[in-house]
Amino acid sequence: MQFLKLNSLRSIGCLAAFAVALQLPAQPAFTEPFSREVVESVDERRAQYLDRIKQMQDFRIGRYAAENFTKMDNSAISMLLTRGEEIEACNRRVIELMETPGTGPFWMFPVTMVAYTGRDRLSAEARQAIRDAWRTTRQLRGDTENHWVMYHTAMYLMAQMYPDEPGSEWWNGLSSEENFVEGRDWLLDWMNITTTIGQGEYNATHYIGEYAIPLIMLYVWAEDPAMRQRAHIMLDWLFAELATITLDGMPRGPNSRTDDYSVVERWYALATYFSWQLFGNVPAGEGYRGWGWGNYFAVLAEHYHVPEVIYRIAVDRDHDILQKDRARSRRIWRYSDEHMRPIHKTQYLRDQYAVGSHQGGLSDPIQSHVWDVTWTVDDPRDVHNTMFSLHPHSSGRVQQMFFCTFPEPMPPGVTWEGKPSYNSANKVLGCSPYEQVMQDLDTVIALYDIPPEEDFPQVNGFFSRDLTDLVEHESGWIFARGGTTYLAYRPLADYRWEPHIRYVNSRDPTVFEESGSKVLVSPHVKNGTILQAADGSEFASMADFQAAILNLPLEYSLEPTPSVSFTSLRGKKLSMTFGLNPRVEGEPIDYDGWKLFEGPHLNSELHSRVLTISHGDLRRVLDYNTLSITDRVVR
Amino acid sequence: MPPRNPITRSRGHFLALTLTLLTPVVWAEPAYDFFICANINRNYVIGSTIVTTNGLFERDHATQEWRHFGYNDTTLSAVAVDPRDHDTIYTTSLNGIWVSYDGGESWKMTNSWDMTEGRDVAVDPHSPDTVYLALPDGIAVSTDRGQTWERRERGLPDRGKFTQTIAVDRSQKARVLAGCEEGIFLTVTAGSTWRRVLPTSTQVNDLEQSPHDPLRWLAVTDTHGAWHSRDGGETWSAIAGLPDDRAIYNVTFDATDEVRLAVASWAYGVWTSEDGGESWTERNAGLPDGVRAWRVGVDPNTGRLYASIFQETLYYSDDFGRTWQPDALEGSLVNAFLAIPRVQP
Repeated sequence: MQFLKLNSLRSIGCLAAFAVALQLPAQPAFTEPFSREVVESVDERRAQYLDRIKQMQDFRIGRYAAENFTKMDNSAISMLLTRGEEIEACNRRVIELMETPGTGPFWMFPVTMVAYTGRDRLSAEARQAIRDAWRTTRQLRGDTENHWVMYHTAMYLMAQMYPDEPGSEWWNGLSSEENFVEGRDWLLDWMNITTTIGQGEYNATHYIGEYAIPLIMLYVWAEDPAMRQRAHIMLDWLFAELATITLDGMPRGPNSRTDDYSVVERWYALATYFSWQLFGNVPAGEGYRGWGWGNYFAVLAEHYHVPEVIYRIAVDRDHDILQKDRARSRRIWRYSDEHMRPIHKTQYLRDQYAVGSHQGGLSDPIQSHVWDVTWTVDDPRDVHNTMFSLHPHSSGRVQQMFFCTFPEPMPPGVTWEGKPSYNSANKVLGCSPYEQVMQDLDTVIALYDIPPEEDFPQVNGFFSRDLTDLVEHESGWIFARGGTTYLAYRPLADYRWEPHIRYVNSRDPTVFEESGSKVLVSPHVKNGTILQAADGSEFASMADFQAAILNLPLEYSLEPTPSVSFTSLRGKKLSMTFGLNPRVEGEPIDYDGWKLFEGPHLNSELHSRVLTISHGDLRRVLDYNTLSITDRVVR
Repeated sequence: MPPRNPITRSRGHFLALTLTLLTPVVWAEPAYDFFICANINRNYVIGSTIVTTNGLFERDHATQEWRHFGYNDTTLSAVAVDPRDHDTIYTTSLNGIWVSYDGGESWKMTNSWDMTEGRDVAVDPHSPDTVYLALPDGIAVSTDRGQTWERRERGLPDRGKFTQTIAVDRSQKARVLAGCEEGIFLTVTAGSTWRRVLPTSTQVNDLEQSPHDPLRWLAVTDTHGAWHSRDGGETWSAIAGLPDDRAIYNVTFDATDEVRLAVASWAYGVWTSEDGGESWTERNAGLPDGVRAWRVGVDPNTGRLYASIFQETLYYSDDFGRTWQPDALEGSLVNAFLAIPRVQP
């Protein structure tokens, strides 16, 4: 790989951005100050929520006004149809777009949205153009869970719109009834498994949209009241977890389905859009950059009412949160005894920082993020407010576990398909079968036992450009501050520093630049990381923090198997040997006994299909068995 | 709508052409229809508009061109045809299994939502209503020409039944071999029970029955080498002379010459044997650097060897790999070659 004329590229990019900016409509969410204050008034909260919807719709629609709406996308069309504006332009554009239909769920759900928002407003010709596309163009179901949510939702709703039609009227040869039943049955199976043993693409930084948007479509447009209620439950379920795991609206680790940008600039994620939209506790970027499909949720967001208990979990925090939850890995086709691995997530959130992890190992073939500490900043935009380590694992055999592929093509191939870092030694994204992690409150121990023949026999630690007071202490500890948070990072083997690489184009791994952050590269296969965080208020100075860390008992060995015994800042003796169950105060962690959710805000017994959402006196119980949503105030 | 099945159409063209020219030129009627599943999807991502032509192609022996028919699908992995009725076509794809009863004019996706990513499909020539579907999580069987499917996995392991390839023994009804993650499995009862006839440590990628001797079979694997059987797949022996530490993606016989065999491997490229598998020779001269061979196939009408090179032009060789020439289909992957005798034996 090489650096390619980045100055020129940046200049071109800046010029293009400037040109675009001249035409951009007003965006108060970006230009005006924002506040994280809790909005106590229900009416005011709702008004602000609706205002954010309007802002995003105005912006999105406004982008196309200069060209007289001739270039608008399906989200802008849907927004205009919902408002009853520019209908003729919508008709023309729909007919034009339907001349070259796309091929899969990312095309299907937007067009379904246009079909429904336009069912009473589009011309007969435009509606027929949509209908024809669904008859003539073969669609792909995809091969991941989010694909299937979008695909089956779209088929369910389109079959509902055009009932009683024979297979000859559908691209897949199935009748309306067959398409409807297939979509329904898949959705019910997904909802059942998710409420039973957890979400597969859990805490996704971007793919949350691929769930939330289809769910709100079902919530608004399904004619079956049971399906509407199921969708409502799942929306609440999804957003309750979002509220719980975000820090000032930002997603943090662990995450499935994240990416090279979101994993270091935690604000830069579609999940942040949902925090902004639902909770209003995070600022927007210029042009809503990084927020992907959020505009599609905005089309229908007015139909959803954010439950107060979920809102308060996100924004009204006066105590530390310790959640221990379950999720599941992506489906594993082969080379594993497990169809889906249970994922055990630990989330510890404090006022100024949060530490999260899962137990390590494989959870997703490419885009996992296993653990980090993330801290708050006044304005998180363009800030790398996180620290973590990982083994940069790349494997054709692992790709075969999760995909129907031969061993060789995918590791290089996916780098051209939106995962540019996958096959690089310097990456900071991904999980590894050779990483094991334990967490107790704000202490993390990550051990690595990497086969020497691995492509990248090293451990990478991410060190933000935004750290302050960074000290490489003679003891082997590295101290720093992230925001007001004290951080102590202990690599268990020698290391060197390399620049952190930012990929300029997610579909071209050869174009990149230095981000200003750096990567601690420890080129040893027997390895480990210890991370201890502490709040700025706990110590009078960095020197006091360092002294406290240096006094903590620590023993470790790397041969033949990495092993650590460490007494944390919280007085817990943590011990861990790679491949064995970690121990806290001598007791092995009882992963098998973990509930689906357990903590101050979310609680659910494994297999129960009932989630209790709590904040203060507020309770909301989502019961998927009875399809009931119950609100209570506990006195 | 997709055009008619070229099996019917090509004969019509052939007749029209000969009538129009009114010349004494006589095209040799090919003994086989020769098809490929080709995906020309470089840089394609799910959801985007397809700007290339993908799916089923038939070799037009008159024009020496590949002619597309059926739907434009970027994900076809295999094709099978009913030997009684060449207008009945089965294709596996990312979506599952597609069936056409009118030569590709119309198609129906007949798998249920819990069957996905079909890997291979095979028709029993002695019982053509019975069709076998290889899936990433097992095997399904249809007894009604692909209209409905049922899982038939008794004898397969709970885990380890990723089935990449499935082949019906043309010499015996209901006798089928399946290439799975943990070996080759055999049924003589149309899938009602399976037993393992070759354990492997990694995926079996391809199984082929000799067009010359129905007792002779070849198999290739991810990292377990290449294997052959001379007793209809009951017992297997390792093939010497081929690399075995990296995946071999497929193997092919040459219907025109009993002793000619070829394999494709991403890491090692194209290797051929011209002594029935006793010795093997690398045949990559003239192919792109770093070969990345995806699949090989032999046109049974001509003995022409084809090599699909990963997202490159399809190549062919008329001297069984000694020299190569670029064919059409730039940027393609050929996932399957299929030859159908025009007259059933």
